[in-house]
Amino acid sequence: MKRIISTTQSLCPVCLKRIKAIIWEKKEEAWMEKSCPEHGRFKALLWRGSIPMTKWVRNKIPATIKKTNTAVEKGCPFDCGLCAEHRQHTCTALIEVTQRCNLNCSFCFADANGNAEADLDLETIRRMYQSAMDTSGNCNIQLSGGEPTLRDDLPELIRIGHELGFSFIQINTNGIRMGEDEAYVSALKKAGLNSVFLQFDGTKDEIYKDLRGKPLLETKIKAIKNCQRYNIGVVLVPTLVSDVNDSDLGNIINFGLEWAPTVKGVHMQPVSYFGRIPNLPDEQKRLTLGDLIDKIEDQTQRRIRKDSFSPPGCENARCSFHGNYTVSENGELIAQVGISKCCGVETAEEGARKAKAHVLRKWSGVGPEPQDDGIKSAAVPAKDGWDAILDQINRHSFSLSAMAFQDVWNLDLNRVKDCCIHVVNPQGQLIPFCMYNLTDKNGHAIYRQQ
Amino acid sequence: MKHESTDQTKWYCDKCQRELELAKVKVKYMEGNFEVDLMKCPSCNQVFIDETLALGKMKEVEEGLEDK
Repeated sequence: MKRIISTTQSLCPVCLKRIKAIIWEKKEEAWMEKSCPEHGRFKALLWRGSIPMTKWVRNKIPATIKKTNTAVEKGCPFDCGLCAEHRQHTCTALIEVTQRCNLNCSFCFADANGNAEADLDLETIRRMYQSAMDTSGNCNIQLSGGEPTLRDDLPELIRIGHELGFSFIQINTNGIRMGEDEAYVSALKKAGLNSVFLQFDGTKDEIYKDLRGKPLLETKIKAIKNCQRYNIGVVLVPTLVSDVNDSDLGNIINFGLEWAPTVKGVHMQPVSYFGRIPNLPDEQKRLTLGDLIDKIEDQTQRRIRKDSFSPPGCENARCSFHGNYTVSENGELIAQVGISKCCGVETAEEGARKAKAHVLRKWSGVGPEPQDDGIKSAAVPAKDGWDAILDQINRHSFSLSAMAFQDVWNLDLNRVKDCCIHVVNPQGQLIPFCMYNLTDKNGHAIYRQQ
Repeated sequence: MKHESTDQTKWYCDKCQRELELAKVKVKYMEGNFEVDLMKCPSCNQVFIDETLALGKMKEVEEGLEDK
C-alpha cells in the first residue's frame, strides 16, 4: 500500500519548469512522483532503508537571512541567492578556484576537464570571500574546482581567506599533487590549511579505474602520509555508485580508522545525476541515505550501529546523517550519542553555529604526532585526568557522515530552502550547492557557467 | 558548602561539617571511565567543582562533545 507523505515542488527534468510533486512511502521505500504538462510523468527514489524516511526528522525554526543578495522575483530556485525566502545561512561556502582538472572522471558535478579556461584572479576570489563573510559571517570555507591543487598560488588563496577572518579552510582535492609534491603540502600548511576533503572512492584500484580512469590507491596513501607529516586533518570522501563501490564501505571506514588521527572521518556522497554523468539514473540502483545507514551497519558487522546516526541540525534532515565516535584504547569505536538531543525545539541558526563549530573541531588536523613511516595505530594510551578526556575527544575522535545531493530527478525545493552548503559565484552570489550544479536531462545548467 | 577565606582557600561540606579533601574521582564520558582530582567530602563523598574548572577544562570537554 502506498501512503502519501507530503506534497512539494520540484522541476521538470526536461524543461526545468517548476512543477508539483508528491512524495509517497511503501514499506521501506519513499518515492517522488511529478508530472510536467508538456514532458510527462517522472518518478525518483528518495529513500530506502530499515529506518523509514518519515522517522528521519529534525524540525527547526527557520533562520531569516540577514543580508540578502538577490530579490524574490521568479521564485525558488531561480532567485539564488541568498534570497529572502531562504531559510538557512551558510555553514560551508565553496569557492571554485579553477575549472582545470588533472583527471577526467566519469561522474563530475563540475564537469571539469583539461580545458584552458582562465583561473579566477586573486581580487575576484577576495571579493567572493568577502561576499560570504558579509552574507553569512565566519562560515567554513571549502576551496574546490576543478582540482584546486593545480593552482600554484593556492597557499596564497588560503592566506587571504584567513586574513579576511575565516577560521576553517579546507580544500576539496583528488590528492594527486598532495601525494607527489611534499613541498606544496608544506606550503599549504604554512598558509593555514585546516583540512583536506580527499576524494577516496575505495580500497581497491578497480574502483578508481572505473570512476576516475586510473589506479589511484597508492597516490591517495601518499597524500595521507604527507598530511600526516604536516598535521593536516583528512576526511575521506567516497562518491558512492551502486555496484561499483557500495560494497566497499566497511573497508573504507576501516582504512580511515587505521589512519586516525590524521584521518578524521569518512564523508560519503551517494552519486547524483548532474554535471558530467555516464548515464541517466536507474532509480532502483540509486543509493539513498537509508541504504547507506543499513550498509554501514552490515559491512562493519554492527560495530557501527544505525542508531548511532542522527539527522542534521543545520541543513534539512533528509540531506544528511552523521555519527561521532571516539576510538578507545583497544581500538573499539564508542558512539557519542544523545549529546545534542535534549533541548526541545531547535533553531536553524543554532544548528548552523553548531555545525560550523563541529566541523572546525572534528575535521581540523591535530597537534604534533611522532613520525612513523608505517600505518599509525588508532589506539589510545591510558592517561588520567581532564587532559586525558580532552585528548580522547580532540585527538581520537572519528566522524562518519553522508550527504545526499539533489539532482533534477529527485529535487525537493523544500530541502533547497534549508540548504547551508553554498557555492559562491564570481558575482558574489551564494547559491545552494545542488542548485549550482543542477543540470536538466540534456545537461543544461541553471546557474553554473552563466 | 561554605567558604572560609584563607590564603589557601578551604571548603567545607555544610551537611557534614568536614573539610573537603582533594581525591581521585571517577567521571564517565563517552562510556569511558577517567580519574580526575576533585575536592570531595570524606564523609558523604559529595564533590565540589570550582568555577575555574567549570569554566575551564570541564567546559572545554562539554564543547568538545557537542554534536551538530
